[in-house]
Amino acid sequence: MNQNPSDISAAPEIPAEWLAEFEAAARRPLEQRLRYAFIHTYKPVLDDEPFRAFDTMADYRRWCEENLPDWLGYGRV
Amino acid sequence: MAAFEYRQAEEVRDAFARHGVEYLFLGKSGAILLGFPDTTQDVDVFVKPSETNGKALVAALGELGFVLTTERAAEVARGKDFVQIRNGPFDLDLVFAPDGIESFDDASRRHLEVAGFPVCHIDDIIASKEAARRAKDRESLPRLKSFRDYLRQQGRI
Repeated sequence: MNQNPSDISAAPEIPAEWLAEFEAAARRPLEQRLRYAFIHTYKPVLDDEPFRAFDTMADYRRWCEENLPDWLGYGRV
Repeated sequence: MAAFEYRQAEEVRDAFARHGVEYLFLGKSGAILLGFPDTTQDVDVFVKPSETNGKALVAALGELGFVLTTERAAEVARGKDFVQIRNGPFDLDLVFAPDGIESFDDASRRHLEVAGFPVCHIDDIIASKEAARRAKDRESLPRLKSFRDYLRQQGRI
């Protein structure tokens, strides 16, 4: 299909490195993608309790900010 | 605790289907199901908040090996906005009212299906991360948005 030049200019530019990663991922079967994607490392405080429940998302966000180390990245910016 | 595996994703999908749980994969785990190449540690599931669905969810979680006390099962069934479970076969976050998404029904209407896995639309995944305003999301959002552009260019959304 011929592409209209205005379509080309309108298409958002995806950084080449990311585009290559997206295309590589698209070639992998789902099972393999999941194997690469899920990792497990210990997160202090967050992983120290087996169960937590929060009435509201605001409560949860507040708890994260007050209790988790900043470097985990759960604080709001 | 081992990392989440494809086999477990299938078990979630199948157990939730058996019990009729209405849910969608959300967050980075949802994006990964859509093909986003990245890493994550836990599984985020957006669950429809309703009494019937909550009870079905508790039954499905039991079948998957999550051991919940009566009190905790009641909290899950009641649909607190956010529940984090760390003593099951994998780390699981249950989200009943994610930031940035109006309602489960809205998200469900837009959802995408990947190998039988119901996944939030990439627009909703991005909206929830934008609304959460967390430092870790701010880092991943530009790449997620480029991934959305890629899906559009591929005609997948």
